[in-house]
Amino acid sequence: MIKSKFTTVEAIMLVLTIFLTPSILSMPKNLIDTTRSSILINIVYVTIIAIFIAILIYRLLKNFPSYDIIDISEYLGGKCFKSIIGTIFILYFLISSSILLRNFCECLKMVYYPMTSVVFIILAFIIATCLSSKLEFSTAVKVNVIVLPLLVISVLFIFFANIKNFSFENVFPILGEGVYNTFIIGLGNLGAFLGIIILYFLPPYLKKPEDMKKIAITTTIIAGIYILFCVSIILFMFRFLLNVDEVMPLYYTTRYIEFGDFFQRLESFFLFIWILVLTSFVTINIKLSMDIFKKLTNAKNISPMVYSFGLIIFAIAIFPKDYAVSKFIESTLYSYWTFGISFALGIGILIFANLKKRKNAHLPKQKEVLEANE
Amino acid sequence: MNNLLKKFFIIILIIVFLIAFSSSYQSSNIGNVAVVVAMGFDISDTNNLNITFQFTNASSVSDTGSSEKTEPTLFSIDAPSISSAINLMNTNIGKEVNLSHCKLIVFSEELASRGIEEEIYTLSNNPDVRPSANIVVSKSTAKTYIENSKPTLDNLITKYYETFVNSSQFTGYNSNATIGDFFYSMTCDACEPYAMLGGISSQNSSSLSNSSSPTDNTIKSTFNPASGQYISENTGLAVFKGSTFVGELNEIENLCFMIVNNKLSGFLVSIPNPLKNDSFIDVYMTPVLNTKVDAKIVNDSPFISIDCNFSGRVYSIDESVNYSDIDTLKQISNSCNSYLESILSDYLYKTSKELNADINKLGKFIRKNFLTESDYQNYNWSSKYKDTFFDIDVDCSIKSSFLLTRT
Repeated sequence: MIKSKFTTVEAIMLVLTIFLTPSILSMPKNLIDTTRSSILINIVYVTIIAIFIAILIYRLLKNFPSYDIIDISEYLGGKCFKSIIGTIFILYFLISSSILLRNFCECLKMVYYPMTSVVFIILAFIIATCLSSKLEFSTAVKVNVIVLPLLVISVLFIFFANIKNFSFENVFPILGEGVYNTFIIGLGNLGAFLGIIILYFLPPYLKKPEDMKKIAITTTIIAGIYILFCVSIILFMFRFLLNVDEVMPLYYTTRYIEFGDFFQRLESFFLFIWILVLTSFVTINIKLSMDIFKKLTNAKNISPMVYSFGLIIFAIAIFPKDYAVSKFIESTLYSYWTFGISFALGIGILIFANLKKRKNAHLPKQKEVLEANE
Repeated sequence: MNNLLKKFFIIILIIVFLIAFSSSYQSSNIGNVAVVVAMGFDISDTNNLNITFQFTNASSVSDTGSSEKTEPTLFSIDAPSISSAINLMNTNIGKEVNLSHCKLIVFSEELASRGIEEEIYTLSNNPDVRPSANIVVSKSTAKTYIENSKPTLDNLITKYYETFVNSSQFTGYNSNATIGDFFYSMTCDACEPYAMLGGISSQNSSSLSNSSSPTDNTIKSTFNPASGQYISENTGLAVFKGSTFVGELNEIENLCFMIVNNKLSGFLVSIPNPLKNDSFIDVYMTPVLNTKVDAKIVNDSPFISIDCNFSGRVYSIDESVNYSDIDTLKQISNSCNSYLESILSDYLYKTSKELNADINKLGKFIRKNFLTESDYQNYNWSSKYKDTFFDIDVDCSIKSSFLLTRT
């Protein structure tokens, strides 16, 4: 039984955290890579598809009120299947946190702590997130309601502060790498909406489960608009970023923000906001993993598991030999894996569970008809 | 017992973090860094890089740090690359070189002509180097240029480097060329980089005094008629093709560059006086609208139309002229139009036919004629720029003079 219940606004912020946090790393650049100058069309296109997917997930979840994907897996395939699915999702949350953490810490190291091993920077994050995860989930979500708007404001600020550096002509050639790349290969950019995964877990947390549809659609639209802003900054500002790989493209653009001689070097301010957002992101992932673990094991007190999950994240984060490996995992493996779990696995389970439910619903009726005939 | 263990664990963690982060703190501590405010790149006798670092007192990097005049210190070093030069410098001065306040990067003409791709990539890759650092190609050696770059009206060299390009917005005779923009243009497929053209005035003072009086068509760094305490000059523009220096623009061409790029808030220009033969009048022009650029492809050649719109006021007035008379103002406006059209046309054809370097980023306007990136790449803008035709339309509206409207 889940103790923490969230209001609709808290739930929207929670989902958006999972949606938006990867944007502070190389996600916007990865999105542009496949389509180049047609990225804006592509983002509008994939946002529309993501909205349909969100509605589909809502429809499929509707038949299981207050059930999350773990409960539905149990209904579909029994306890063993539930354990497998639960473990996959726990791994997903922990690995996604680790990769993001590693890449972000590499950037922090490069900019501010050149002489410090990245292990210690990651460790500082792990300790902070473990301590915040010891608190109630609702506390973490309430803090997130304050932190997440800062991320959105920071990106909007980058957009408007850099508008003097924009060349809107960079949107041409309008079809970028061609129709096929924009609309077919560009479907891979649905990976930007990996936050959809959290919709599978949301129903038991909602104070008003009837707002699920509103949450699903609102978050997807906001995420779409936000991603549009992120990629626009890079596309309009630096066409060369299409050819050059940057560690953190958004961070790179913050270095150009200057207001006269007085307001300069604002990038540290943005990094500070992003540190808060990343901490919130990892905390939410640990809390979700703990709730899944609780469901799998029926343990009464899982509080000490915080440290175990923290250690797992730490171990995975320091596992890649260097930044090149962790970047490869983030841009390639992670996005494919996300696709598989967010869309294929999640929707697959929901569809089969709905079919099973429909079949079971027909069975009593068929029995009644048979009995009446006899 | 449990509580004790927790406290012990916390103390251990604090110690670990103190040790881990102290090295980074130490390396960036103001007492342990040598603050570089300018860097110069020359070619040494051994064909290596000769890099000049201009250091300043760490407390004088900001206005609030100190108001006393502090003399910067110069060090030069021969090294095969920037990184090794920095390493050698770290060893020699016993401090870590910090480039986060480096405001000026100077390349000698000789090195720039050889190509500065490696240096630009290395500097852009350095997290300390600000993209707003100005980039100069010096007609003299970079070391001489930096040696002679001294603030005359400011106390601080850092303040001087912050503000010495500010006049570009209202004169148009130099440009605020930054390394960020240089790197962008160097890697961009629709433009070419540029840098400020620097030099030392004293070198050519004798030749200038012998020559006829300079006009704005001839003035550029080292051919500058100004005299006084200042020695270094920053007038005109250094044009690059890729990473190689290919030519220079004088101050009037620099003004045209600024007009096409919409980087001017106003400028003073001497135009032929329509009311008196063989004389000029000075008009202060302000842009009414941003310069409009439209690019088409006609018979496989780029055709670029440029529309400029200015309003102006007559600065230098003549005797017995009514500057509130509509006909007089119309004549001056027409003279202004034809003069600006002529210099803009000369400038644009010079960049295309002579230099083949699209420093105005006009390539971005041609992209709308293509549907896909591959079509655009196949067109190969950088080689087609030399075939470009320009249509320039300038619309000046002279309002009147300033305080006196009739003499």
